[in-house]
This record gives sequence, structure tokens and C-alpha cells, in this order.
Amino acid sequence: MNKWPFSRRAVVKAMLLGSAAPWVMSSKVFASSSCDDHIVRIAAIAAPDSLNPFATSSSFWPLIFTYDFLVGSDAQLYSDRKGFAKTWSVADDNLTWIFKIWPGLKWSDGRPATARDAAFTYNFLLGSIGKPDELNIGQNSTNGMEQIASVAAIDDETLQIVTKAPTRWLIDNSFLILPEHIWKDISYADARSTFRNDPPLVGTGPMIVREYQQGQFVRFTPNEYFRTGKPATAGMILNLFSTADPIAQGLKSGSLDYALSLTAAQWDDLSKDPDIVVGQVPTEQRNYLAFNTVSGQGKGSTKALQDPVFRDAIGFAIDQKTIVDRAFRGHADPGAGLAMPVAADYYSYLSDIMRRFDLAEAGRRLDAAGYRDTNGDGVREDKEGNSFQLELITGTFATVIEMPIAAVQLVAGWLEKLGIPVSVTQLDSGALTARTVAPADGGGGWDLLVAGSWLSRSPHDILALGSSKQIGVSNSSYWTNDKFDGLLSEVDRTVDLKKSRELVDQAARIIYVEAPYIMLCYPSVLEAHRKDCFKGWGTDAAVSQVSYFPFDRLKPEPTP
Amino acid sequence: MNGGRTSRHFGRILVRAIITLLMVAVLNFFLFRVIPGDPASLLLGGARISVTAEQMKAQRQNWGLDRPLFPDQAVDYLSATLRGDFGYSFKFRGRRVADLIVERLPATIVLVSLAQFIAIVCGVMLGLYAGWRRGGAVDHIATGASLLLYSTPSFWVAMILIVIFSTALGWLPGYGAYSPGVSTRSLDQVLDYLRHLTLPVSAVALGLIGQYVVVARAAMSDVVTEDYMVTARAKGLTGGQMLMRHAFRNAMLPVVTLITLNLGYVVAGAITVEAVFAWPGIGGLTVEALNARDYPVLQGVFLLLGASIVLANLVADLAYGILDPRVRQ
Repeated sequence: MNKWPFSRRAVVKAMLLGSAAPWVMSSKVFASSSCDDHIVRIAAIAAPDSLNPFATSSSFWPLIFTYDFLVGSDAQLYSDRKGFAKTWSVADDNLTWIFKIWPGLKWSDGRPATARDAAFTYNFLLGSIGKPDELNIGQNSTNGMEQIASVAAIDDETLQIVTKAPTRWLIDNSFLILPEHIWKDISYADARSTFRNDPPLVGTGPMIVREYQQGQFVRFTPNEYFRTGKPATAGMILNLFSTADPIAQGLKSGSLDYALSLTAAQWDDLSKDPDIVVGQVPTEQRNYLAFNTVSGQGKGSTKALQDPVFRDAIGFAIDQKTIVDRAFRGHADPGAGLAMPVAADYYSYLSDIMRRFDLAEAGRRLDAAGYRDTNGDGVREDKEGNSFQLELITGTFATVIEMPIAAVQLVAGWLEKLGIPVSVTQLDSGALTARTVAPADGGGGWDLLVAGSWLSRSPHDILALGSSKQIGVSNSSYWTNDKFDGLLSEVDRTVDLKKSRELVDQAARIIYVEAPYIMLCYPSVLEAHRKDCFKGWGTDAAVSQVSYFPFDRLKPEPTP
Repeated sequence: MNGGRTSRHFGRILVRAIITLLMVAVLNFFLFRVIPGDPASLLLGGARISVTAEQMKAQRQNWGLDRPLFPDQAVDYLSATLRGDFGYSFKFRGRRVADLIVERLPATIVLVSLAQFIAIVCGVMLGLYAGWRRGGAVDHIATGASLLLYSTPSFWVAMILIVIFSTALGWLPGYGAYSPGVSTRSLDQVLDYLRHLTLPVSAVALGLIGQYVVVARAAMSDVVTEDYMVTARAKGLTGGQMLMRHAFRNAMLPVVTLITLNLGYVVAGAITVEAVFAWPGIGGLTVEALNARDYPVLQGVFLLLGASIVLANLVADLAYGILDPRVRQ
């Protein structure tokens, strides 16, 4: 009687199986990654906003893969890493710089890339100065251009820049050199805001941005006119994430080849995977404990914060090695002076004046300075007789390596042992920025700050933490010192490396003794790459944090 | 007489919805400006870039942040919003907020509505069945599993799914909406999109299933003890007839309310799940805008969210009025 040969249950089963067919039939389903396409897949916690370097300073990745610096820090440190200029020199007057551009250099669209393009980029910025739409908000900005007297292309391969005073800024800055034939008709108003510089871009870097899907990925193709030859890989995909967990899983599954921004726990886990090589790259970041040293508007809860003796004594209560070992699981260098170890030309451990961790010594110094516990309640009093109760604010500023809360807890714990109670307030990057801007702009009102700053390794940026011109920007302690400012000003006008080093050392010693900052550590970026698809990652500072190396020289592993 | 009463009832609901929406629009402006943070300094790259006070000032001028908050900025915002103009994004350098939302909205709607559909079908059926057969094996298993899923954060479920199906088994991609380079407008792209969609949808749906099972089971449990069910049994109705004619329809009232209210969250997306899977939806846009204190985008997104929830409440009110005539009176 039953004409329908299948039960309802059988039909449902068939439908369920049928719905899975597209997944099963697709060859990619069970192989989430493959080395066959020779495309390098990388990942980072990043949110690029625009591809216009005059309008953005948040798109370092991906722009750095497509455009070159004129020189940049990598080219000064490594003989095999270069930028738009092959060589550079300065005349005896220390004002006239000559940059020799790579002979035969081409843009990715095949047109010649010459000194005229570099001159255009600099003159485009110079020309905007003082205009209503001055280009002063992006990665390529007029900040620093006031030092330049003139920029001219002598010929296709020779760029001459004359500065008003001696400076190394020309080779240290991170301006991206752009093609004149693309940018010559863009107005300052558009360059400053609405021009999006949509892909495909035209650059001289190894990988050219071909597609940008906001919040998802950036797809690159190799530049066939790259100065050392077309990269051997078939392209690159930069996957954008807002959290590190899926990045680590992507590496394990093989759907990613390289990952940045890993946490120490993920790094440890990945280091046990035989297919993955983990690495740590020392950076220019400095994590510090800053004191609110301002005495007027925005001051802290006690005058002791303005007393160098008090700050110096606290310095003896901070154990940098324990912070590195416990809070950073060894992925950092212990803090010392203003200069970080990667700035090898300027780094000094300051061993002759270095404070050694000694809580008893810190206590003795506080006692001697008059910060005693006079009423025996276990809490010290300041010179006005008020018991200490300091507010410590902390958080991670945008685009720097995350500050582990364990570091803050250690600092707070040591201060408690000294009889200085601390209440910790953890803030997000926006709130942290709001509280640490200049008192005139509404900042201040806190006592202690544990945070990190990542500037370049140029002498100017090394000293920026103490610059009175950087109060509320790079100078979070609001500390000022005329002698320090004078040394910084002299550094800005110095080309000679040896003299520059001496000046930085003098300034670093002044600020170390005055102690508006206690350097906690210099953290490393934690990264990892798979070893099954590509070779050529290198070993010595393998992945540059300030340029595109080694992604220009990766080669596909031969298929077994 | 009844018609007039009904019209007044619906009219009141409509006026209430419009007033709520206007209040949301006003609150939107002040809500995000109360959060400490300066968009100008965040736009300049935080602590990574050495910026000058002049650059900060220029950035503030560029986006009109140097003007007084009230009345200048507030009045501009309100008049523009009433004209349907949500303004321009800070973070995305002058892109229209409406364009950004339109760009991201489809991904969220697909993700959440599909998850809702799966959750409604599976969760309601399972919940009603568990309530109908209280104390049975299905009831015990469904109730236990639902409570577990309901109380588990969806981002954690998302991570577990990635670890199992992407990392360990390698069956499905663990991030993104599609593979870069897959040819557009082809069957490959559709399949690729479906594969990317599977884990995020599952993560959202699993949490929702738990919610629907719990509510549907409770509703059915109440219904089966009602007098009219005893009467129905006494009249000789079979179990199936009792379920379909009496129990199911009465148990659906609270479930319909939950479904309607949940539909309001379709555009809000699942922020944490989108973050874990790097899903390019409204949730991801909200996180990016919040990190950058991108007020215009936040205002636009939250106004849309407010509107969708007000609309969902409106639909729930209207539906209730239709389903239960006593409400209209």
C-alpha cells in the first residue's frame, strides 16, 4: 500500500548528507592550507584605516611592504638591507646630503623610479607647510621638515637635500617615497583626508598591495620590478585580527605561515610544535614606571612625587630582572637607561650609577629623606604628614606591545612592602591617553604610571621621554630639565655619531639620576613561522619590525 | 468601538517607539564622549609615533573636535542625524559612516540570522519536546546541555570550535569570510563563503539554542499542567492531537516574544564571536571604532542597533496584540 519507498527518517538523513556535499566535494575542505600556491600567509593584530600615507599613521603594515623609506634604520644597521637610496653621504658642512638612488630602479607599474620621485615626496610635504591643509597628520608628515632648506633631484640617480642645521633625521625618518606620476595631481586637501589611494598601489617595495578588504585581509602580489629581482613567492596575504588566539590556532593548523603579536603563553605552546619556529625580536619599546612630577595643574596626590630623592629611593625597590622573568617570561631585557639595547649605538647599562634591587636600601633612603612611618601604622607619611596612598594607572597605549598586569602587580607589591600603599587603575588605550596628555589639555591627577612607549631608535626619539616639547605626548612624567633639553637640542643638530652618542649618554645620565622614570624592561615582539612552506626567514633579527625584511627574500620550499 | 481601541493601542505603541528612538539618538552623542579618550591622539598612532602638540591640534581641527561640544557639535550631530546623515568616520579617514555600515551589515545579518534560524528550529523543537516529555532521557540531556551552552560565553565556544574543527581536524577555516584570491561571483566563492560561515554560525547558534530550549521547555512544562490539557485528555484526544491543538500554540507565546526580541539583535551581531573569527561584520566595526574613539561610526552603529531593537519591540507589541486580544483592551 505504501507507495513511498523511503521513510521520512531516511529522507531527512539524505538531506543532511546532501547539505554536507559542498564541503565534502571541495578539495580544500580537509586541507585548510597548502604550500602549493606559494603564497605567504601572515597575520597580525592590526586595523589599517587608509592606504594614504599622508592621512594615516595606523597602516604601517601593509604600506611598508609596498613603499620604501629613503634610507631608514634597517639600511643603517644591515649591509644587505636597503631602501630607496643605495648609498648616502653628507658633505663636510654637515648640511648637504647626497643620496644615490638605485640605478635602473622601477616602480611596480614599470615606470622609472628616480630621484625626482623622492624629491617630489619631500617637496610635496614642504609645499604644504603653512597652508590650511598642511600635511601634518600622517606617517608622511611635515613633522621634522622644518629642518630642511631645499630638496632637489640633481639627476635621475642623485638627490640632494640641504638642511638648515646638521641633523641625522634625514636618514632616520620613516617617510615613504611615493611615485610622482600617481600623486602629482592630488591636492593637499585630498591628500590630507579623502584620497584613499585604493589598490592596486604602485611602489618600489617587494610586495604590492592589490586588494584590501577592510577588517579582513590585504592581498599582495610580488613586484616584478623589485630592485633585487621579483620575489620568489607568488604573493602574500596579511590577515587582520583583533585578538591573538585565532592567530596561534591558524599557525598550528597550517593556514598561516607567519604570525606576529603572540602572547608569551601562545609562544611557549607553539615552541613545542615541530613544524613551527618561534622567535623573539627585540624592539625599541620601553616599559617604564613614571612619576607624575608636575607641581601645578594636574599634580599628583603628594609633593613627594616631585622630589628626585623620593623617586630615586623607589628605584631601589624595583627588581627589573624579576619583572622580566615573571611578567614577561623572559621575553624582554631588563630596564636600565633611556636607550634600549636595540639602539646599539646609544645603549648603555649605566653600570656605574645603576641602582640595584634592595628593598632595605630603598627604605633607608626614604627614611633619610624624611618619608618615615612616624605613627607606626605601617604606612609612611610624606613631609606634610599625610599618609601615602598613591594611584597607579596602567594600560597599553595603542600600537605597542601589551603590558602584562603581572608587571604592575609586582611593582605595587614592592611599594606596599616599603609602606607605600598603591591602588591600581587599569585603563584601555583611549582612557590611558586621555589621562596622560598634558595637564593643560586635561591630563594628570594620577601619581604613578606603568606603561610602554615605542618610538624609533633615533637619538631624538630616545630622548623624547624627557623632552619638555613632548610633555603629554612622549613625555608622560611631565618632567622638565633645561640641561636635558639643551642636550636634546644639540643632538638634533649633530651628525657625527660619536658626538651624538656622547650627548645621548649625558642626557641619559641626567634623567636616570633625576628618576622621573624607572625603566622596567625593553620587551620583545613574539613571533613564529611555519617551516614547511617557505625558507629564507633568516636568524639574526629575522623579521624586521621597521621594514619588510625578510619577506622580500622568502623562497618556496621544494615540494617533497 | 473595538476598531478605535485597537487603533489607539497601536498608535500609542508607535509614538512610544518614535520617542525612544529620539532619546537613543540624543544619548548616542553624549554616551561615547563620556568615555575617556582622545580620538586625535589615537588617530596619530598612539605611543608608536613621536608626535608634536601641533600635530595633535591639527588632527583635532581636521575632525572638528576643537569646537565646543555644546551647542556646536551636538546641534550639528542632531540636525545631520535627523536628515539621515551619519557623518564621516575619523578612523577610516573621511569615509561616510553610512557606507561603512552598509558594507559591514550584510556579513552580520547573514551570520546572526542564519544562527537564529538554526537555533529557533532546533532549540524550540527540542525545548518543546523536552517539556512535553518531562523527566525523560531527552529532557535530561537537552536541559543539561542547554544550561551548559546558555551559560558558556560564546567566544569560548568559538575558540573550542576552532581548536577542534580548524586546528585539529583541519576541516574548516578558522577565520575570515572568504579566502583571498578565490574568483568572485563563482560557485567556488559561494562554497568558500559557506565553509567560512560554518564555525561562526555554529558558535552563535549553540548559545542561542540553549536559550530557546530553556524557555520553550519551561513554557511547555507550564502548559501541560493546565486544566484545559486535562480536559483535552478526558475528551479522548491523542497525545499528538493534544500537543498540536492545545499545548504547542499556548507554549509558543513566550517563545515568540523571545524570538522577536532576539531578532532585534540581528544587526548588533555577535561582537565577541566576530572578533574571534575575524568576521567582517558590524561587531568588528564596532570594536575598531571603539578603540579609535570614532564617534561618528559609534553613533551610527548604536543608532542602528537602537532602531532595530525598538523595531523588534514594536513588532513584539503588535504581535502580542494580535495573538492575545486581552492585551489590546
